[in-house]
Amino acid sequence: MRLYSVVLKDVFRRKAKLAIAVLGIIVAASAMVAVVTTFSAATESLYEESNNFGANIIVRPQTNSIPLIAGSTSLGSISTGDNYILESDIPGIYDIENSANLGVVAPRLYGVVGLGHENVIVMGVDVEQEQNLRSWWKVNGEWLSDPNGTEVMLGSDIAKPLGLDVGSAITLEGNGVDMEFEVVGIVESTGGEEDGYIIMPLSVSQTLLDKEGKVSSIDVRALCNDCPVSEMSLQIEGALPDVEARAMSQIVQSEMAMIKHTQTSAMAISIITLLVSTLTVASTMLASVNEKIREIGIMRAIGASDHQVISMLFLEGALIGTIGGSIGFGTGTLLSYLIAPLLGFAEPFPMWELLPLVSGMAVLVGIVASIIPAKRALSIDPAEVLRSV
Amino acid sequence: MSNGLIHASGLKKSYKIGPNDVEVLHGIDMDIENGEFVSIMGQSGSGKTTLMNLIGMLDRPTGGSILIDGDDITTISRKEMVDYRRRTVGFVFQQFHLIPSLTAYENVALPLVFAGDKGHSAALDALERVELSHRLDHKPSELSGGEQQRVAIARALVMSPKILLADEPTGALDKETGERIISLLNSLKDDMTVVMITHNHELARMSDRIINLQDGKIKE
Repeated sequence: MRLYSVVLKDVFRRKAKLAIAVLGIIVAASAMVAVVTTFSAATESLYEESNNFGANIIVRPQTNSIPLIAGSTSLGSISTGDNYILESDIPGIYDIENSANLGVVAPRLYGVVGLGHENVIVMGVDVEQEQNLRSWWKVNGEWLSDPNGTEVMLGSDIAKPLGLDVGSAITLEGNGVDMEFEVVGIVESTGGEEDGYIIMPLSVSQTLLDKEGKVSSIDVRALCNDCPVSEMSLQIEGALPDVEARAMSQIVQSEMAMIKHTQTSAMAISIITLLVSTLTVASTMLASVNEKIREIGIMRAIGASDHQVISMLFLEGALIGTIGGSIGFGTGTLLSYLIAPLLGFAEPFPMWELLPLVSGMAVLVGIVASIIPAKRALSIDPAEVLRSV
Repeated sequence: MSNGLIHASGLKKSYKIGPNDVEVLHGIDMDIENGEFVSIMGQSGSGKTTLMNLIGMLDRPTGGSILIDGDDITTISRKEMVDYRRRTVGFVFQQFHLIPSLTAYENVALPLVFAGDKGHSAALDALERVELSHRLDHKPSELSGGEQQRVAIARALVMSPKILLADEPTGALDKETGERIISLLNSLKDDMTVVMITHNHELARMSDRIINLQDGKIKE
């Protein structure tokens, strides 16, 4: 027999008391796990949303806008300045301070060409970079594969009216040049501007539009969720001449701030719950010590040291913490599965990395809650206790 | 100074009750020899249990001294007190005071656990000595009063103490069972000194010597 088996036998003899103390820990641990798991799912949802949203930073040529005002009536504005970025300037982006955070740098060229009697917009793309950026696109057929090939993908809004499908051949009339293309894929509607575009390799579009070495814009995706995109925008503007770089993450960041604020509030409530549960465990254990006052007196009379009395109570507290923490992790995770859909977040997943953390914290709560009962136990005078019974 | 195992000299104990100090023992001088079976008798409130608590170091005197084998135990540290209770004395109480969640065997082995002794064969030997080898796995609630007291005696014997202190060990038992317990205690004096508190003259006569206490003093 060991000291811990004495504790185990005693604890399981008083199951009702054990259940109350364990319940206190379960409530606190569940609340914490549910908050962390649910808000982790919320954050994931937002990141996923922001990924689908596209680039973090859009780089465009810098243009000056001159407002046209007649009297008190605005007649719009006119832009001045070059409408293109030189392709040869693009490598400069990789020299910025936060270059390690650069994921995708996707240059694009836009222009209008003729297709039969119609005018259509073509979008030239860096095939590899664009595919990384638009990995969520659903393409019927195939993605563009050859950076210099005469193949195109069509947006869904343009394919149907023109009666085009995968395998169709089209002739596009550019600036003094006609080129034959094969349709290799139709992009399912994304709800974005690309639904109305003909998408082709960048170099081919430059030839067709007679814009050799030029691009209209560059979409940049930063690799991390919390990148300082505003800072990176400024760095890009510093690295490339005559461009303006706009961070597209303000909305995401403000949503993230709101989620973090809510998470902090929920966590504060969880911590209060934790404190309350500590008091619950402490009062239950204190009641248990008062109930066991005679047994503790006997144990001290037959040779239990102060250290052994304290160890037994701490062990009891740790046991309550372990059981409560483990069950609390399970119930908290289940709770998050119920809460997350109600709040419109993605389905959460069990965060196993929380288990040792929550169990450790629950054990700590159990031990902290045992301090006052242990002090009470040490003050028990065996002579007095045994005299009064 | 006597060569006795227990030598009390001018032993005093007072308790604070409200603003007043109430003296329960008024200077006890007493010697108990090695291997003696001594009964301490007296009316309620005469200080019998207080005297036993002082010998067992469950409490400290407010004056005088107690020498055990020549060593003064009244000035020892809290840690030494624990060690003294573990190895030098064994207690038997009127209400048995067994731990209800533990079996007979586990109750007897408990002092060994506290002392850090790994082998528990002494617990089996002690239970055999009180003829309860067949009730090892029974919890106190499954044992008769006499059996519970024998388990308590086995627990007191398990560390082979020099002194066994028994406070009204038959108080909760019928006459016949009580006499069996006294016979058992009597049989232990070859190995240890037995000090028994009782107010039963008939049982006290079964011991080697009777010390009478009256109002906190030894009555000659």
